[in-house]
Amino acid sequence: MSRRRPLLAVLGAGAGIAAGVAASRWLDVVEVRGSSMAPSLLPGDRLLVECRSFSLRAPRAGEVVLAADPRERGRELIKRVFAVSDAGDAADLRGDAPDESTDSREFGALPLSAIRWRAALRYWPPQRAGLL
Amino acid sequence: MLSLRSILRPTRRVHAHCDVPCGVYDPEQARIEAESCYRIIEKFHASTDELFRQRCVVVKEARAEETKHHIDVMWHDYFKPEHVEQYPDLHDVCWKASKAASKVKQSTDLEAAKELLGLIDRIDEMWKGTGGLGKTRLNGRPS
Repeated sequence: MSRRRPLLAVLGAGAGIAAGVAASRWLDVVEVRGSSMAPSLLPGDRLLVECRSFSLRAPRAGEVVLAADPRERGRELIKRVFAVSDAGDAADLRGDAPDESTDSREFGALPLSAIRWRAALRYWPPQRAGLL
Repeated sequence: MLSLRSILRPTRRVHAHCDVPCGVYDPEQARIEAESCYRIIEKFHASTDELFRQRCVVVKEARAEETKHHIDVMWHDYFKPEHVEQYPDLHDVCWKASKAASKVKQSTDLEAAKELLGLIDRIDEMWKGTGGLGKTRLNGRPS
């Protein structure tokens, strides 16, 4: 029984995600590349992301977000919000693995306009599925 | 639009990015180029051969540019915010060292070359104080 539970959970989550996604334009799925967010996120992890929250409020410290790479057009980064500026218009983004991350320590804080998506949950791999 | 297929295999990639983190740094690279500048300027002043002096200038300018590059790599890539907390004058020293390298490139002033070496030594102290050899160089030759 217990061996089947992860499979059921994945199928259930998958069906839930599919329904939610079909019903919403706020959701998307992404795959993680690179290891600057280790150990929280590993290469190959698949995540559900949403763009509703940041149309209503600013990102908060601790949230995992997607951001347009300021140094390479068209590329999206995934990092954690380390701090939001006092003026509330820019966010300092860091990788969870500081020794293996290129982030705001090098390219500076990013304007909030560059940050639209929040990573909500991981659905793959199933053994590490859950809210972020 | 999302489909079951895209959920199973997302095509949108997000990068937990890191520039190729070779992690190898040593201000000695800057120091060697700056020493070249120093010696070349000495030879420049000691010579009366116009052709040789012209060559000195050309080579010195190239070496000074290399020095500046290696200083910048330390400044931009090696030093991190926590190092600035440890050494509050870090930015000032790196900035002055870059400027000193420019001055060496432009002139044949031996004092400028000496000042550049002194500033590189300051960077060296900060590098040693934040990890130095043990953290940023291979320990012996890799097997």
